[in-house]
Amino acid sequence: MSLGGLAYETFRSAGREEYLMRIGPVEAPPILIVPPLFEEMNRTRALVAGVMRALAGKGMSGWLPDLKGTGESLEALETSRWEDWRHDVMAAADHLQARSGKTPLIASIRGGCLIDDAAAAIGWWRLAPVPGASLVRDMTRAGLAGVEWAGYAPSDSLKGRLADATAVHQEPLRTARLSSDAAPADIKLSGPALWRRSEPGSAPELAEAMAADIVEWHAACVVS
Amino acid sequence: MVAAFNDEEQVDATLRAVLVDVLGLAEDKVRGFDESTALFGALPEFDSMAVAGLLTELEERLGILIEDHEVDADMLETFGSLLTFARAKALQ
Repeated sequence: MSLGGLAYETFRSAGREEYLMRIGPVEAPPILIVPPLFEEMNRTRALVAGVMRALAGKGMSGWLPDLKGTGESLEALETSRWEDWRHDVMAAADHLQARSGKTPLIASIRGGCLIDDAAAAIGWWRLAPVPGASLVRDMTRAGLAGVEWAGYAPSDSLKGRLADATAVHQEPLRTARLSSDAAPADIKLSGPALWRRSEPGSAPELAEAMAADIVEWHAACVVS
Repeated sequence: MVAAFNDEEQVDATLRAVLVDVLGLAEDKVRGFDESTALFGALPEFDSMAVAGLLTELEERLGILIEDHEVDADMLETFGSLLTFARAKALQ
């Protein structure tokens, strides 16, 4: 059965097996998506899938790994460490390299930008990178409306590492932000901050614009 | 990372952008907000779940920190009260 080129694979990370969703041909130039963390991951899931479909439409392949304790992972979030997530991104990049025969470009979003620097890549593309401390404040503040950490139960050590984390500069790096965001960026894209919405939403135009910029940046990184 | 905010108009524009982004309101609607426009409790989109996202996004974009004890119904009541709070924080 064809799901529009959608496939699930597994990759090995530190003796574990985790899942990867792929949209696009195995041999196409690979883009490794490092998604936002915790609740922001759910809120942006449709956006991420939209970007992956748009990438496939432009001759690339989008790959989305499950981090330990998230998505389809057999592991518990409670036992997941910050190092595990960094290792998962590294192992997923290696998997893409082995499967496609090409070094991937990494496209990370929000909190994903905090764990994307350990992997081997031809370049990095980031959307709205955020300091870990800001994510911790948001998750704690969710307690004002009900449950702290929106019901997630990460270990204290993971919370601590997240609180201290900032995105590490990489070369070559292109940073994108929403046009409503005044912070400096290489490109501003119009669209809603879906990761903030209390209800998950989609934004096909933003997904298309992200994919177009990722493809352009990929071409620049291949040449350099 | 965060741009310097040195003018009241910039804070006004940022607050409107955050209301559009976080609450999913139409830009035209938010452009028409004035000081007396009622927000919390008056807009169905602005519920208690949305308050956390709104405050965090304001912190990020204005480069400020908002303490929980500073947040109450008065501060969230109207566009004017929220703007006054944001300006006091960002321009201090």
